[in-house]
Amino acid sequence: MLKIDNLKVSLEEEDKQIIKGLSLSINPGEVHAIMGPNGSGKSTLSSVLAGKDGYTVNHGNVKFDGSDLLDAEVEERAALGIFLAFQYPIEIPGVGNMNFLRTALNSQRKTRGQEELNAADFLKLVRSIAKDLEISDEMMKRPVNVGASGGEKKRNEILQMCLLEPRFVILDETDSGLDVDAMKLVSKGVNNFLSSSRSFLVITHYQRLLNYIIPDYVHIMVDGRIVKTGDKKLALHVEETGYKDFLQLGKEKH
Amino acid sequence: MNHVNTSDWYNSLRQKLESDSSSIEKVSRRSEYWRKSNLDIVSDLVHNTSQIDLSNLKGTCLFEPDLTVLGDIIELASEESDLVSSIMDVIADEESFAKNFFGRLEEKSQKLIPRPLARDNSLSPKVGYALSLSDSFKKPLIIHNKTKTSASNCFQRNLIVIKDDVEATIIETGSNLSVCNSVTEIYLGENAKLNFLDLTGENNIFPKIAHKFCDIAENATFNHFGLRLNTKATRTEIELHLNGHGINTSIANVSLINKRDHFSDENVLVNHNSYECKSRQVFKSVLENDCTSIVRGKIYVAPEAQKTDGYQSSRSLLLSEKSKFLCKPELEIYADDVICSHGSTSSSLDKESLFYLLSRGVLKDKAKEMLITAFISEALDEVEDEGIRSALGHYIGNWTSCFFHE
Repeated sequence: MLKIDNLKVSLEEEDKQIIKGLSLSINPGEVHAIMGPNGSGKSTLSSVLAGKDGYTVNHGNVKFDGSDLLDAEVEERAALGIFLAFQYPIEIPGVGNMNFLRTALNSQRKTRGQEELNAADFLKLVRSIAKDLEISDEMMKRPVNVGASGGEKKRNEILQMCLLEPRFVILDETDSGLDVDAMKLVSKGVNNFLSSSRSFLVITHYQRLLNYIIPDYVHIMVDGRIVKTGDKKLALHVEETGYKDFLQLGKEKH
Repeated sequence: MNHVNTSDWYNSLRQKLESDSSSIEKVSRRSEYWRKSNLDIVSDLVHNTSQIDLSNLKGTCLFEPDLTVLGDIIELASEESDLVSSIMDVIADEESFAKNFFGRLEEKSQKLIPRPLARDNSLSPKVGYALSLSDSFKKPLIIHNKTKTSASNCFQRNLIVIKDDVEATIIETGSNLSVCNSVTEIYLGENAKLNFLDLTGENNIFPKIAHKFCDIAENATFNHFGLRLNTKATRTEIELHLNGHGINTSIANVSLINKRDHFSDENVLVNHNSYECKSRQVFKSVLENDCTSIVRGKIYVAPEAQKTDGYQSSRSLLLSEKSKFLCKPELEIYADDVICSHGSTSSSLDKESLFYLLSRGVLKDKAKEMLITAFISEALDEVEDEGIRSALGHYIGNWTSCFFHE
C-alpha cells in the first residue's frame, strides 16, 4: 500500500536535513509503530506524508498504491485515503465543527466521484460515531476544537477518521496529553476501525499506547533513519532500557 | 442658488449654514483626516456613463424593498412605507416635523471634525427619505437605492427620527449609479432602538461618501452594520453622540475587496457624553490584489462619562502582498473610571488552519472561503436578528466563494 524508498527530507528554510534515508513498506491490514527519541524526525515523516508545506524532499520517493504520493496536493492525498491524526489538533474559531465535517466528507466524496451525503444521512452517521467516542452534542456544535480539552481534541481526530474512512492512517503521538480513560477510548475507536484493507502508522514516544493498539511491526527511528525493526517486544525493550542502545546504532549508520 | 420649492425654515437654515461654511476646512490631502483617503470621492468630474450598463449595477438585492430611491424619485411599495416621505417634500413643508431636526446634527458634527461634503449636502439636497416613527414595527424596513442624477455629485439626504420606546430595523440595499454624497441624520429617543444595516455599494463603480450622524438619548440602543463588497471608492463617516446614560451602541463593518485599486474607508467617532454607556466597534477587512481598507475609529469620553465601556477591534486579512490595511485607532479620555480598549491586527490566512482543512480533503478554494467566513464572523455576530444574520451569512458566503476566481 505505502512504500517509502530512501527518503531524504530537509527543512525548506534552514537547509537542515531531518530525514536522512528512510525506507519503509506497509501492506494492507498492517499496523506499524515508529518510536524514537525527540528530534529523530518522526513528526517530520508524518507531515511529509500528509503534504505539509515547509519541507523539501531531496531524495527518494513515496508510492501509495503504486503512484507517486509526493506529487499529489494535500487535499488529493486525503481523497486518496490518507489521514493524519494531528499531534496538536488545530483550533479554528468561526468554523463550526459540523459544517467542517460535512464539507470535508462531501469534498472527498466529490473528488472520488461519489454522491454527496445529504444533511439527514450525515447527521445520523456523525451522531452514531460521536456516541461511541463519548463526544457530546455540545462539543459537536462548537467551532472546530475551540475550547476543547486535549482529550476532546484527540477524540475529535478519531471521530474525523471514522467519518472519513481513510485507508491509511497516521497517528502522530495521539497518546500525548491523554489520561488512561481517554487513551482507552481513543484506542477502542482505532481498534474498531482496523480492517484487512486499512493500514496504520502509529508514531509514539512511549510503549503504553501499544498496549492498546497492538502493532505488527515496531521501528526505532534515530536521527532521521530507521535503525531497528522488530515486533511488539521491541517496544517493551525500549520501555525498559530507553533509546541509548539505539542512539549508538544511529551513529554507526552515518 | 436653490431652485427647488423650499419652506421658510429650510431657507433660513440654509442661509445660516451657507454663511458658516466658509469656516469649514476643505477636503485636502494635507489634512490628517483625509490624507489616506482616495479623493476620487470629492471629484467634480462628470462620469461618462454612456458606456456603462447601469442595469447591471444592482448592488445587494438581498431583501424585497419597501421603498426604492430611484434616480431622484422615491417609490413606495409596502404598507409600512406610508411612514416615509420624500426629503424634498419635507423641506418644502412649513409644518414638517423635520424643521426641528434637519441639519442640526450636520452642524454639530462640524464642531469636531470639518466635514465640507456634509455641508454641501445640507445646502443642496437632491433626493432622499424622511421618516418619523412613533410606533415600533416588527418587520425590517427595506430601502433600495438606485440613486442617480444628471449632476456629477448626487446629494442624498435622509432623516430618521425614532421616538421614545420605539424599535425599528432599517436595511439599505442597492447602489449609487453616479458619484454620491449622502447624509443621514438619526435621532433616537429614550429607550428607543434602531438596527441599521447598510448593505449598499456591492460592486459599486462610482465613488460614494456616506455620512451618518446620530443623537442618542438615555437607555437607547443603536446597532449599525456595514457591508462593503468590492466598492471602488467608498468612504463612510459615522458620528454618534451618546447623550444619556445606559446607551448601548455597536458599529460593525465587513469589507471584502478583491478588484484592483478598490478601497473602503471607514471613519467612526463615538462621543461618550454621559455615564454608564457601552460602545463596540468591530471592523473586519479581507483584501486581495492592491486593494486598500482604511479604518479610523475614535472613542471620545467626556469628563462626566464615568463607567464608560468602549471597545474597538479592527482586523484585516491580507491575501496579497500588495493589499493594504491602514488603521488608526484613537482614544481621547477625560473620565477616570472607564474601560476602553482597542486592538488592531493584520495577517494572512493561517497556514496551520489551512493545512488542517486541506488534510481532511476540503478543496483549497473552499478551505480558504471557510477561513474567510470564520474571520468575518465576529463582525457578523454583531447583527442581532438571527434571521437577518443567517441571510447575510449565506449571501456573504456565496460572494466569498467567487473571491478566488476573479
